[in-house]
Amino acid sequence: MQQTTALTAGKEDYPPGDFVIWIVIYAELLAFGIFFLSYAFARSQNVELFNASQLELNRTAGAINTLVLITSSYFVVRSIAAIRENLQKQAARWMWAAIGLGSIFIVIKLFEFYTKYDEGITLSSNTFYMFYLSMTFFHFMHVILGLVILTIMATKIRHGDYTAQEHDGMETGANYWHMVDLVWIILFPLVYVIR
Amino acid sequence: MQYQSQMAAKPYFIAAILLFVGQIVFGLIMGLQYVIGDFLFPEIPFNVARMVHTNLLIVWLLFGFMGATYYLVPEEAETELHSTKLAYILFWIFLGAGVVTVLGYLLVPYATLARITGNEILPTMGREFLEQPTIIKIGLVLVILGFLYNTTITILKGRKTVVSWVLLLGLWGLAIFFLFAFYNPHNLVLDKYYWWWVVHLWVEGVWELIMGAILAFVLIKLTGVDREVVEKWLYVIIAMTLLTGIIGTGHHYYWIGTPEYWQWWGSIFSALEPIPFFMMVIFAFNMANKRRRQHPNKAAMLWAIGTPVMAFLGAGVWGFLHTLAPVNFYTHGSQITAAHGHMAFYGAYVMIVLAIISYAMPMLRGRAAANSDKSQVIEMWSFWLMTVSMVFITLFLTGAGILQIWLQRIGENPQSFMVVQEKISLFYWMREVAGVIFLIGLVLYVISFFIGGEERTAPAKA
Amino acid sequence: MSEKFTKSMARNMFYGSAVFFFLLFLALTFDTSKALPERDNREAITTEVARGKTVWEENNCVGCHSLLGEGAYFAPELGNVYTRFGNSEEAIIAFIKSRPQDGIAGRRSMPQFNLSEEDLKAVAAFLKYASEIDAAGWPPTIEG
Repeated sequence: MQQTTALTAGKEDYPPGDFVIWIVIYAELLAFGIFFLSYAFARSQNVELFNASQLELNRTAGAINTLVLITSSYFVVRSIAAIRENLQKQAARWMWAAIGLGSIFIVIKLFEFYTKYDEGITLSSNTFYMFYLSMTFFHFMHVILGLVILTIMATKIRHGDYTAQEHDGMETGANYWHMVDLVWIILFPLVYVIR
Repeated sequence: MQYQSQMAAKPYFIAAILLFVGQIVFGLIMGLQYVIGDFLFPEIPFNVARMVHTNLLIVWLLFGFMGATYYLVPEEAETELHSTKLAYILFWIFLGAGVVTVLGYLLVPYATLARITGNEILPTMGREFLEQPTIIKIGLVLVILGFLYNTTITILKGRKTVVSWVLLLGLWGLAIFFLFAFYNPHNLVLDKYYWWWVVHLWVEGVWELIMGAILAFVLIKLTGVDREVVEKWLYVIIAMTLLTGIIGTGHHYYWIGTPEYWQWWGSIFSALEPIPFFMMVIFAFNMANKRRRQHPNKAAMLWAIGTPVMAFLGAGVWGFLHTLAPVNFYTHGSQITAAHGHMAFYGAYVMIVLAIISYAMPMLRGRAAANSDKSQVIEMWSFWLMTVSMVFITLFLTGAGILQIWLQRIGENPQSFMVVQEKISLFYWMREVAGVIFLIGLVLYVISFFIGGEERTAPAKA
Repeated sequence: MSEKFTKSMARNMFYGSAVFFFLLFLALTFDTSKALPERDNREAITTEVARGKTVWEENNCVGCHSLLGEGAYFAPELGNVYTRFGNSEEAIIAFIKSRPQDGIAGRRSMPQFNLSEEDLKAVAAFLKYASEIDAAGWPPTIEG
């Protein structure tokens, strides 16, 4: 395919990554977007229930996870910056750090899910929890898939598959991870905070 | 035609067309029973006519898919079919089983059929579209396995293309999800839940892979567009199909006793289901515009372009109309469902099978590329007659559905089902007229095969 | 931008979304199977009800009627027929029994299936069980 040089990140390289990933991103944002709108609509029908149930969520855990995910996204950026300088070792290190943070997100989220499960809360408990569990679980699966993608990328960096000249694959994967991050940045305030 | 074993497709295509005619005849019988309630009663009660109508549809589409596969796989894999003999043997077994089943429906009461085929040993009968006696279902699985064996071996030993690979995935999915037809618990809700794993995951899942692959093949052949481009599109389209369609199953889980969160999940994802169909339309027109050759088979091109358009209308638009849970609350199980079902099946599956038949049949009958101009004109007439009358069938059933809902399901004084049916009978009459025109179109289609004349030859590159 | 549109990435997208969404579907199915006992009236499934379902199936009732909205649309919805018939299994039995052998001139008529007394009772019990499934308030009116 088209060879892109690292330092001429001009218009022809925009948007970065493979065109396919943008189809994925638009489709996923659309799905999440409709979910968010549905949430807003359902909330307007039953504000009290939503407000009351919202207080039962672990906001600290949510906030930590937000920081964790944003930082992880930043590390991916650093990894790509490193590969643009042909610094494979550093790139791999940043990438593994991003994966580490992503895994922390998973652990914290699992802890949250477990507490709710322990309280006997399911998708059928009430409309708020239906949305909370649906959206965070749907997002959770995206984080897992994102981690799989990052791990593949990290091993490919190690094998020297990416260079300053050719790293479209990395930009493609990074786009996905940023999307996962972006969705959480909307999801967290919407579901945990805004009342 | 490049490989001798592609000839195996021919009997499959012929059988498909013959059973298609049968399907439409029974459709007309049912349409008449809608307005003249005692027509053919008690010889052919409505439920029997309906079984024949829907089962023939499924069987002839399967014949079409199999024929398409036998035609397409050798050419894609660049090798002869593993066993032409097996293809012919399976053809006769499948046809025999199909004919026996239909005769069973028509000649003995259904309860008797259930008894003599030993339904009590493994009860699977009597559920919509899965009415076949259990032993026939087992036979169907065996036929499909034999067919899959034959084609998989062929693909594995030859060139592996995206088109044949996607087709194969779709066919394996078809076989695997059919196995849920054998799960029939006493619990009605569970029964319905997994019944949809056959029905929905077929028509809004794996069948779309089959459809996409056949469409891609026909477009590559007709337009001469670079295979790389077509295959990329194919992947993206079927990815979107599964992205939306799998969770889209939820739109069947609103009112059958399943948890109510399905109303949200089902609505959200099935609202996205028109997207892959829309992409298919864009794709087909794009390929047609970029075509690098002027293929002499105009009729096949018409079918190939018509397929995504009608699939988008029938499955995409008419599906979306009633897929959101608050709307579906009123439309569920009404004539709206029937309207959607008719156009979606015609647009997505009938037309794709007719497209590959239209493309392949001239070669299978020893012509270089296409039928004579005269024959093609008749075939294109049949295209327009069938397609336009299907649009009208859909519109009339939609009208009937809207009125039905209004009278029976909305308002203070809902009227009883049978009273409402009489009030909307005008729409049923109009539907029946459109159905007759459809049959005329189909007869013209069959006639087009018997029109000779000088073969249209391919001009050099456009 | 479509220059950077590679087939391998398109393939990854296809396999990725197929696996991803099927797993999601399985997860939701798992939750559904946990939640069903609350809604599907399973405690009412006696041997008689189970037999009724077989009678329902072996006479292809779904070829004309719908049940919870699924089936054919030629004859009335039966998911709530028990309530429509005044919560009476006897009324259902009487209706099925009284269908004329040769139909009704010019009108739709249910065939006479000549069911045994046990089968009649069983199918009525099955329809009562079906009417007590929690179908989220569907159908909209008593007329189905």
